[in-house]
Formats: sequence, C-alpha cells, structure tokens
Amino acid sequence: MAKLVVVQQPKPPSLSLLPSSLSEFSGTKLPSQIKYKRQVCLPKPKGALNVRASGAKKILIMGGTRFIGLFLSRLLVKEGHQVTLFTRGKAPITQQLPGESDSDYANFKSQILHLKGDRMEFDFVRTSLPAEGFDVVYDINGREADEVEPILDALPNLEQYIYCSSAGVYLKSDLLPHFEIDAVDPKSRHKGKLNTETLLQSRGVNWTSIRPVYIYGPLNYNPVEEWFFHRLKAGRPIPVPNSGMQITQLGHVKDLATAFVQVLGNEKASREIFNISGEKYVTFDGLAKACAKAGGFPEPEIIHYNPKEFDFGKKKAFPFRDQHFFASVDKAKHVLGLKPKFDLVEGLADSYNLDFGRGTFRKEADFSTDDMILGKSLVLQS
Amino acid sequence: MAILASSSSSLLFSSLPSNLPPPSLHLLPRSSLSLFSNSASLSSSLSISPYLFSHPTSSRRSSVSSFSVRASAAEKKKVLILNTNSGGHAIIGFYFAKELLGSGHAVTIMTVGDESSDKMKKPPFNRFSEIVSGGGKTVWGEPADVGKAVEGATFDVVLDNNGKDLDTVRPVVDWAKSSGVKQFLYISSAGIYKPTDEPPHVEGDVVKADAGHVGVEKYIAEIFNSWAIFRPQYMIGSGNNKDCEEWFFDRIVRKRPVPIPGSGMQLTNIAHVRDLSSMLTVAVENPGAASNNIFNCVSDRAVTLDGMAKLCAQAAGLPVEIVHYDPKAVGIDAKKAFPFRNMHFYSEPRAAKDILGWRGTTNLPEDLKERFDEYVKIGRDKKPMQFEIDDKILESLKVPVAV
Repeated sequence: MAKLVVVQQPKPPSLSLLPSSLSEFSGTKLPSQIKYKRQVCLPKPKGALNVRASGAKKILIMGGTRFIGLFLSRLLVKEGHQVTLFTRGKAPITQQLPGESDSDYANFKSQILHLKGDRMEFDFVRTSLPAEGFDVVYDINGREADEVEPILDALPNLEQYIYCSSAGVYLKSDLLPHFEIDAVDPKSRHKGKLNTETLLQSRGVNWTSIRPVYIYGPLNYNPVEEWFFHRLKAGRPIPVPNSGMQITQLGHVKDLATAFVQVLGNEKASREIFNISGEKYVTFDGLAKACAKAGGFPEPEIIHYNPKEFDFGKKKAFPFRDQHFFASVDKAKHVLGLKPKFDLVEGLADSYNLDFGRGTFRKEADFSTDDMILGKSLVLQS
Repeated sequence: MAILASSSSSLLFSSLPSNLPPPSLHLLPRSSLSLFSNSASLSSSLSISPYLFSHPTSSRRSSVSSFSVRASAAEKKKVLILNTNSGGHAIIGFYFAKELLGSGHAVTIMTVGDESSDKMKKPPFNRFSEIVSGGGKTVWGEPADVGKAVEGATFDVVLDNNGKDLDTVRPVVDWAKSSGVKQFLYISSAGIYKPTDEPPHVEGDVVKADAGHVGVEKYIAEIFNSWAIFRPQYMIGSGNNKDCEEWFFDRIVRKRPVPIPGSGMQLTNIAHVRDLSSMLTVAVENPGAASNNIFNCVSDRAVTLDGMAKLCAQAAGLPVEIVHYDPKAVGIDAKKAFPFRNMHFYSEPRAAKDILGWRGTTNLPEDLKERFDEYVKIGRDKKPMQFEIDDKILESLKVPVAV
C-alpha cells in the first residue's frame, strides 16, 4: 500500500512548498495575487523566466519521467508553474537530458516535485490528491477510463484535465487523413483511450485530449527511429513489408510537449480533441531514407517482403502498422496556431544527435526477423 | 462553401453564408458501407453507428467561426472564363460560371474553338443553356485573340481554364493586362509537383521545372499584381467531360473484375467539382487574400485506388472484385489501362484553408451515390462495351470473367 509521501528534491529552502503550506492551499481557491505573493518573496532561481503570476498553476503530471513528460515538465517549470510528478518511483524522478546544461538541469531538478504512488491504487489516488489542491492534471500515462475516474473524484475543482490519447483510436479508412471528427474504432487496441475520452466528456470537467500519431525524438522508449538506426549502423538492408508506399506520420516529442503547453488554460482547447503530429507524412521507404539522411548514413538498401510468407511468432518485424496511418493537424494549426518546429529529417537528426548517435538506445538490436526475411544470417563487424 | 465540423449535439454543420450553394448532407465521411447504405436522412444515419456520435469531438461553432467565408457581398465582378473544349478540367468552368452567376456576378464563358464543333455536343457544353438562363454569356474563339471573341468587352477577373503551356496562355495574359483586367486566375495542375517521399504535396513544394504549367505560372506572376493559381487533381460531377468514377461503374455493374495497377494503396485526390468552384469563387470575392498565392484545388480527403473502387461499389449497392497487376509484367501502358496515376498523387488544400478560410465539402460516399444514380438514369449501365485492355490484363493473370 503506497503511502502519501511528498518527496522534496534538494533545493533552496525558499522554493520548497512544505507539506504544511500545501495543505493550507488545498481545496481553496486563492486569488492568484496571494499565491504570487508567497512566491515573490522568494529569490528566483538562476535562469528562471519571469513568472506570469496570474498564470502560474499547480500542475500534476501522471507519469512524466519517461519520454513526453521529460520535455513537458521542463517547459511547464520554465513557464513558472509548480509541477508535481505522480509516479511509483521506479524510474529516477529526474534525469539530465542529453544536451541539457548542468545549470538548467539543476534548476529543473530543484523545482520539480514528486508524489509517490501507484495510480492503479484508486483509493490512494482519491485520498492523496485532494490535499494537494492541483489546478491542472496532465495525464500522460493513463490507459483506461477507470484510472482517470478517481482523479476526477479527488479534484472536483480541477481547471483542466489534459489527456494524452492516441490517433490509434481512429477507425481504419480508405479516406484519409484522419480528422478529429472522424469515426473511431471501439474495438481498437486503444479503446481504453476512447473510453477515457468518453468519461471526460461525460463528467463536468474541462478537458482537452491530444491524439498523437507516432512520437519520436531523443529518449524514445518505443523503437521507432531506433529500429532504423540499428540497421543503418550495422550496414544492414532495411526490410519493409509489402510495397513500402504505406504512409505514416511521425511527430517530434518536443513539438508534442509544446502542444501540451499550448492547450493549458486555453479557452480554445476547452473540451476539444487535437491531432498532434508532423505536418508532412512519410512513406515507409521514405522514412528509411530520412533516417539515413539524419544519421549521415548512405542511402539504405530497402528490401520489400510479403509478411504473409513468414511466421515471426511474437516478434515485430517492423515498427509500424502495415497500413496507411496519418492524421490531419489542421485543427491544431487553425484553432491553436500550432505549427510543428521540426520537419522529419531535422527531427530525426535531433533524435540521432542527442540519443542513438551518442551510443544510447533503449532496445538492443534484434535482427532475427530481418535474417528470416533475408534468408541468411549476416555476421558483421560492428 | 465552408464546411464546419459537426458537434455531437448538432449533427448538421452550422449555417453557411447565404451566397453559397446549399450544402449536401455531409456526415462524417466514412467509407463504411453500413453508414451510407440507407437514405442519407439524419435519423437513419444516427442509428447506424453509435460510436460515430458518442464521441462529441468536434469544435463548437464559436471556435470555427473564424473560418467562415468572408464574402465581400457588395462588390460584383465581371468575370471572363476562358474554358478548354475538352478533358477533365472542362467541367470546372461550367460549375464556376453557375456559381458566380448565383452570387450575382456577371459572367462570360469563352470556349476554345467553334460553337459548331462536335466537341460541343458533349457535356458540359451541351448544357451551356444553363449558363445562359442564369444570365451568363457564352462565346467561342481562340486564346490568341480573346479580344475578338469577347467583342471588346472588359472584365475585372479572368480565369484561364485552358492553357497548359506559355505559348497558349501568354496572349491571354497579355490581352488581360492591356485591357485592364485586375485579377488573373489560372487553372494549373497538381501534376507538376515533383514526386515526394513525404506526402502530401503542399503549396511551395518543388515542381517539375520542365512542366508547361510552370512556365505559365511564372509568367502570370510577373505580369499581374493580383493573381492566383489553382492546382487541381481529379474531379467528379454531373457534366464531366472525362470519365472518372464511370470507369469503375462500367466494370462493377457488368460484374467484371476491376483491374488496379500496383498495390491499390496509391493515394489520390478526387474532389467534387463544386469544391473547386467554391474555392475559385472565394478567390474572386476576396482578391486581397487570394492575391499572389498558389492553391491546391482539391478536396481535403485523399482516397486509395482500392478505396475508390470499393466506394463506387458501395454507391452502386453491388459487390466488387479488385484484381491487382503489374503493368510492366503484363506489357500494357498503365496510362491507357487505368484513369489515375499509378503512384501516390496526393495534395492537400492547405493554402485555401489557411489563407481563404475555405473548406471542402466533398463526401465521396454520398457524392458517388448521386453519380451512380445519374449513371443509371442515362442508361450507361446497359450500354454494350468492350474491355479489350482489361481482358488482356485478366488473361495474363488467368482471372476468369463471368460472361
């Protein structure tokens, strides 16, 4: 049974909001002026931006230590919000990002708060959250509606519930791209996300749902670009199922984090769903070539194969759904003024330069399915 | 016309500016047969798929009001449409003329060639009386001497929906400039985009330097202060001069397999011509906004080649058997065998949406039903036809054809 533990990261005492002060503010709506007053007496950390007092919020991020949350939490802290990560504590609460300066990291680390717990323990969630009095919840790791209900119960005065859903909810179609108004698939693998969106809509809470497509970027734990980089580094051909003209879409995690920040306290995002991903789509073959470009590799040899001719067992021979899968990001563009910063090759280069290119990756290379396809085993010097 | 996203409580899109044609029922554009097999009445579609409407996902009116078409209702224009006398683009001028007339503008449509030509017996030319009865003027002549054809009349706006190269369009541009035309519009082609690994084609993407249209586009931009260029793909609509969906219907109603080159996953854009017409109309009525822009003149959805075959079959209420083939292996020219490009040919109308606030209304499942109704009405389903190239393809694949 998890206990309510508010873990303070080591930081200048002036910045810490001690448990007693938290409870003082819990559940009561203080005029923002007073909240600001408490902060303004405190010396600002080095490099902090001016806090927009009236905008500063108490934010709870469900998750936040793995991928999207790493970037999102930093942006929110920079904006002057008080950010708490709700995690079981299995992964380090903070980690220095590749390319992040020591001082930036120290700043961030000194301001981020941690609420240790298991969100699947609904009673704990119900009892621990009210004391904190969060204004906004970012739910980055929620999968099923029943995981969200206790949070809504615990925080009846929540200003906004911002949910990371998925474009995987769209019903497969011959008419593309997917728009937010399109039919969704109640049988999809992501039906938990759909049920969560429905729950949010049915409760009185002000919600926003973000539907990313495939996310990529440094520290991606899903072997998306990494899958290509392993093969390119090994000088191996890239096996692509069927024609290779299937169209998919990648969105950089930093653009996604920006989108998440843009919807915060944004009236135009109230009770809206937004597809968030790259502005251009890409064919499977095109993606292989883009990864090569990004990593400075020569143009890859692409081998097409018929997946039906193989039994890969439980292994995934290719990291993408074997179908067209892409969504229009026009709504976010027109309603929120959002324009992704990264184009595909730039974004892949960012990922490569900060992650794989430095020798880091999440999953070891596994070329077993490749070898089945290639009909031989390649032994290469690494 | 502006299509606004529907919310769950209000399934029809919200009201549109009055000077645009009434919207056809535009439900969530899905290719699922069940949704559109019944009549397009709201109540029946409500009952079909609960999930479609249990997720009130869309913007409310207030958030999309900024996208409504800002028509400058006061200013009526004198528009000259220079129209091709054949091919897939002929229908554009026909719809555009009627829409402009409906909005109160003065329209002359000049068709290339002679009024007495055999070409004029085909649609849309054989329906030009509709333009005349709408108050428009129809003339015939040569692009090299527009002034003669229009008998010295002057215009505010010219649309060249004819020329594919500079030699043909230059005299039109020069005449327009010298006669005081303020806005020059040109129907180019999305076919000039260079193939890409990163679809869709968006305005500003690299085009094939040697394409005839490119030279025209450049010249227009040099000569005119207020110009707009439109790059269409394929279109459907009553009065089409060139077969589009008919190619599929011909095979489906005769219970013949539909041979599609390649994987069938190629994406293309097939718009109802009313979308092209509405985009052009917005440009005429908002010249400032449209000025000096290129617009992909397409609907906002792409469809796969297989998908188009399936949608045609659904519209006809009939099954379809799709057969894929490799044109090279069979030894035929895919261009002759199939009406669409054997590759991804996919652009999006982003500039029109961003700059003009234009919205597409093409709804292939619904629009194809209308097209099929007309196909049957004119008796084309009963017309005897030969399918020589199909037979050659099917023979080489050893696919049986029911007699």
